Amino acid sequence: MQVTSTQTIFDSALVTDFLRVTIFIIMFFYSIFALLIVRQVMIMSETLITHVSALVRGAAIIHAGFAIGLTIFIMGTL
Amino acid sequence: MFSAFIKNPQNCRYQGQDGDEEIILLLRAHPITNLSWIILAVLVFLLPILAPKAAAFYRLDFPFVPANFSLVLLIINYLLVLVMVFEGFLGWYFNVNILTNKKIVDIDFNSILSKNIDLALLRDVQECNSHLNGILGMIFNFGDVYVQTAASNETIDFKKVPHPDLSSDIVMDAALKVRNI
Repeated sequence: MQVTSTQTIFDSALVTDFLRVTIFIIMFFYSIFALLIVRQVMIMSETLITHVSALVRGAAIIHAGFAIGLTIFIMGTL
Repeated sequence: MFSAFIKNPQNCRYQGQDGDEEIILLLRAHPITNLSWIILAVLVFLLPILAPKAAAFYRLDFPFVPANFSLVLLIINYLLVLVMVFEGFLGWYFNVNILTNKKIVDIDFNSILSKNIDLALLRDVQECNSHLNGILGMIFNFGDVYVQTAASNETIDFKKVPHPDLSSDIVMDAALKVRNI
């Protein structure tokens, strides 16, 4: 019986390392962006004060925590 | 509170509002103007489902992606959707135009790092124009309102607000009331 193996670009260590570093950089900047959103939401909700402001502020903080948590998760996964 | 045209809104204040100042009208862009980012978010959301089907349909070979990489790419894709929806909502909800019994306030957050507030006294209002443009504007009755003030050469503009003719009428009525005309 003849066994054939197919080579893909992901078999190359160079490609996977490059992808790994790219993903880390994306997630790092995403985390920074999420923290910036928190600051932006703080400024927005100070400017326009409604009962939704607290909700949006909470969502921004949860989102930032989620982004940082995912960054750590991805660093562990890859 | 998610309306785009609110007369005498309750539980709503803006930074710098005086104690005796009351909000007469609060305007946002018409909800239909959110359609562009909503469509984009839906497309990005569906991308992981549609891309393999499209590849199979066109008989394209996708390289085998390791499970951990495909999981991470999927997460990044949905993070992108999340941030698009959140930023889209924030941009719509907090970019407001406020008419009070004293002032006209135009609050703009054009990007994540910018905040622009235009203020004009109602007594300085000279004229008010409304424009209704485009197919969507005609169908959903939204457009721009330009308020010309005597105090500065700049006009205060309310972009893509619902009922632009009614909005400009309310602004002009409030201005005349302040001047006791």
